[in-house]
Amino acid sequence: MAEISINGVSRTEFGKGASRRARRDGLVPAVIYGHGAKPAHIALPAKELGLALKTTNVLLDVVVEGKTELTLPKAIVRHAIKGTLEHVDLVIVRRGERVVVDVPIHTSGEYDRDGILEHNSTSIEIETEATSIPAFLALDLTGLVAGSSLYAGDVVLPAGVVLTSDPRMVVVHLSVRSSHDDLETAAPAATDAAATDAAAPAGDAAPAADKKD
Amino acid sequence: MLIPRRVKHRKQHHPSRSGASKGGTAVSFGDFGIQALEPAYVTNRQIEAARIAMTRYIKRGGKVWINIYPDRPLTKKPAETRMGSGKGSPEWWIANVKPGRVMFEISGVTEAIANEAMRLAIHKLPMKCRVVKREEA
Repeated sequence: MAEISINGVSRTEFGKGASRRARRDGLVPAVIYGHGAKPAHIALPAKELGLALKTTNVLLDVVVEGKTELTLPKAIVRHAIKGTLEHVDLVIVRRGERVVVDVPIHTSGEYDRDGILEHNSTSIEIETEATSIPAFLALDLTGLVAGSSLYAGDVVLPAGVVLTSDPRMVVVHLSVRSSHDDLETAAPAATDAAATDAAAPAGDAAPAADKKD
Repeated sequence: MLIPRRVKHRKQHHPSRSGASKGGTAVSFGDFGIQALEPAYVTNRQIEAARIAMTRYIKRGGKVWINIYPDRPLTKKPAETRMGSGKGSPEWWIANVKPGRVMFEISGVTEAIANEAMRLAIHKLPMKCRVVKREEA
């Protein structure tokens, strides 16, 4: 796992006005906490941080006022449309410490093309050493037939990594391809059911049913 | 069409249209999605029209997810009615969609087919939208 060093500045003013000013100046408001330390409010350069966060679970050496902290991104808030960084939570970690992180799953292998592959979970939670977090975990789909699933327990873990997610958690499911007619009739059937229920004594869900005036 | 089975209050205030979507801004189930770029009230008829547009284009194959639900009633007073006399009758069921929300998702088809199916579906929706891909976590 790569370690990236970033120089940050301490924040002295808080609130949305100050945060917006910081973002306009090309900085991202962030907070560092963990290991019983008092939370430190800082601002990090948006461009460098954005590039660093392209790597999942990247270790960041944050340098603020000459003091270096080894941190791991805990929560990343992005703009809903633009995708720009709004705020980052960084948790302090120590070398050799074991941490619980979400690691993405990459699928490979030839599966039954008659099915539709559904990614129920794109990542699983593992416990590993902070300095050796795997970039991704591989899941082989070879021989997967339509109607069957692969679970978190089926993911091959590297040495020293322990699965903390439920081993029975579905990671990928290969669903049976439905026919065109099934797709066409799926929603009208639901509507009929809803309409009959709406006509029940509660009768609340029938718009335009009681026009008056 | 999607419609709630029962509701606590038949007539509600108009939902707030301000702000951006707090969640559901990424493709979670499928490979591609339709993301709202503007706030809008999406009616159950529009949701159904968009779903049909997609499923007809992808024919046999692919799976479509609908991530929004029209659970809010909107009322309307009849035409040529004097003001007063209480609130109008429920007329539409709407989903209050805010910018950033991924409303529909699709999987099991090629990118070209997904793009075209979603382009057709976007034409049935009342706001500007774009097609987004699932990001690797």
